Amino acid sequence: MPPSTQTAPKATNKVGLRVPTTALETVLVILSRYREASIAVVAIILAIYFQLASNGAFLSSQELSVVLRDTGRFGLIAVAEVMLMITGEIDLSVGSTFSLAPYVMVLLSLTWAFPIAVSALAGILLGLLIGLVNGVITVSFRVPSLITTVGTFFLLQGVVVSIYNSQPVVAPVQEPFNEVFGENLYGPADSVWSLHGLTAFTPFLWTVLVVVVMAVVLNRTTFGLHTIATGSNIVGAREIGVRTGRIKVYNFMIAGAFAAGAGIINTTQFASADPLAGGPFLTLQAIAAAVIGGTSLLGGSGTIIGALIGAFVVATLNNGLVMIGAQATVSDIYLGTAIIVAMILNVQVDRLRARRRL
Amino acid sequence: MRQNDIAAISPNAPVILEMSHISKTFGAVTALVDVSIRLRKGEVLALVGDNGAGKSTLIKILSGFHRPDTGAIVYQGKQVHFGSPREARAVGIETVYQDLALINDLSVYHNMFVGREYHKHVLGFKLLDNKKMRGLARTYLDTLGIEVPSVSSTVDLLSGGQRQSVAVARSIYSSPTILVLDEPLAALGVREGAHVLGLIQNLRQQRSVSIILIVHNYNQVFEVCDRINFLHSGEIVLDASTAETSEEELIRIVKSGLGRQAV
Repeated sequence: MPPSTQTAPKATNKVGLRVPTTALETVLVILSRYREASIAVVAIILAIYFQLASNGAFLSSQELSVVLRDTGRFGLIAVAEVMLMITGEIDLSVGSTFSLAPYVMVLLSLTWAFPIAVSALAGILLGLLIGLVNGVITVSFRVPSLITTVGTFFLLQGVVVSIYNSQPVVAPVQEPFNEVFGENLYGPADSVWSLHGLTAFTPFLWTVLVVVVMAVVLNRTTFGLHTIATGSNIVGAREIGVRTGRIKVYNFMIAGAFAAGAGIINTTQFASADPLAGGPFLTLQAIAAAVIGGTSLLGGSGTIIGALIGAFVVATLNNGLVMIGAQATVSDIYLGTAIIVAMILNVQVDRLRARRRL
Repeated sequence: MRQNDIAAISPNAPVILEMSHISKTFGAVTALVDVSIRLRKGEVLALVGDNGAGKSTLIKILSGFHRPDTGAIVYQGKQVHFGSPREARAVGIETVYQDLALINDLSVYHNMFVGREYHKHVLGFKLLDNKKMRGLARTYLDTLGIEVPSVSSTVDLLSGGQRQSVAVARSIYSSPTILVLDEPLAALGVREGAHVLGLIQNLRQQRSVSIILIVHNYNQVFEVCDRINFLHSGEIVLDASTAETSEEELIRIVKSGLGRQAV
């Protein structure tokens, strides 16, 4: 939701309504109005810190292309999680869909010589189907989505590793598909403005495009309005004619398709489909990005732009700490802390908003 | 001031809704037993009765939220079956539920138009026409004399009376044929209640919409209603015009819990 620019009810000096008095309250008020802005500040501070700590290497085009690739991968899935979290659901199976869809894509092309673009489409369709199954189990059989998707996570992970006994398969390279979806890596000799240099950023650029589209979908379409209504007050939404079940299923399908898309881009990048490319860790990192971006799990509100910034924070922590010579595992300590702090802030800001009617 | 200065409803006014022999059970709980109600055009019908008498179940059947086990609904001369609230709304039956069905995270004007949004086409895409909805909501609330801080503020910022007023305004915006109000005055202060009551009284004066009203306060029943149906344990025990009955009789029935014949 765009931050409300309206003045609070005039009666701020009446009983029961308090104007923020302390500095802390003022900060929380600002946070609640401009969530994306506040996480953007955090992201910028992090970038500056790593830039200084790495003696100017962090913001070089080469390193940035790596960070932004990760941002694209986490961001694409995080956007879908935000939509689901707004409806009050969650999808933990995205990590397996991320592995399975490109695996199927590559096998289709290798076995039946499908053009890779056609196989990719089939992979996306598979993602949609997985989302449909998750959605129907959750909505029609009333299984909490946390459980549904843990189930489908293991199931799909089991399927993908059993196909070729956990062996990665080499993905066919067909231009321009591979170039458009991130085959090129940024080389030291590249210029950002060359085609080769620009295509090194394509995984990120695709995600930016999706973020823009989904931000419009959430804030400017009936589907977005009904998504918010479903998560904010499911009984009320149903009473006024919102098809809450359908809205949830559609959002599960979006999550499946986006996870498949992210997996396909990832496979194109490495020209290899790895059954273990996704996994639980990827799921959790994407959820972390959504939460750090300012979406709470309570439903009814969330921010798409925030998810992208949150993904950048996660990717920056992962890569930046390694760059400045920390052990790779140390970044998890920071990531864990960031999630907890972000979640405390989200919940507290929501509570404050409800209590004080900011 | 019993009937105020509003003329009694004509006995020739056409019957717009007839729910007959409606029964409904939820598992082991029997909510309604062979309940029949009739509503004339322009009439304000009060459904009264204790908690758990089945009032809410009855109106949720009318609004398409529940399906009756037995019985028929004849609306504007035709038998209807509502599979969802959406279907009932589409033919002009609007309901304001006790919980108001307001979406706290959405603005006042989005709440007014959820489920019947206005769109505009941008580059071939169907987007919400927020400007139009905002303008329409503002004008409409002004017409009804409903004050809100701003139509763009989220509804969780409104007071109880404002929320109730917005919910009522939303339901009468589409000029429904039948308006169902479930406890519109519950949880409202005296002044806020008077305002909502005023809205209902205005609608009644125009006699263009038929209203089913669930209320607890008998005093208010006599102020705004033409006829009273008393539900007790899932059955109608009294059906009388407000002129034929009195607050005392209602209280007697409540106490005996049996109905008119027994009193």
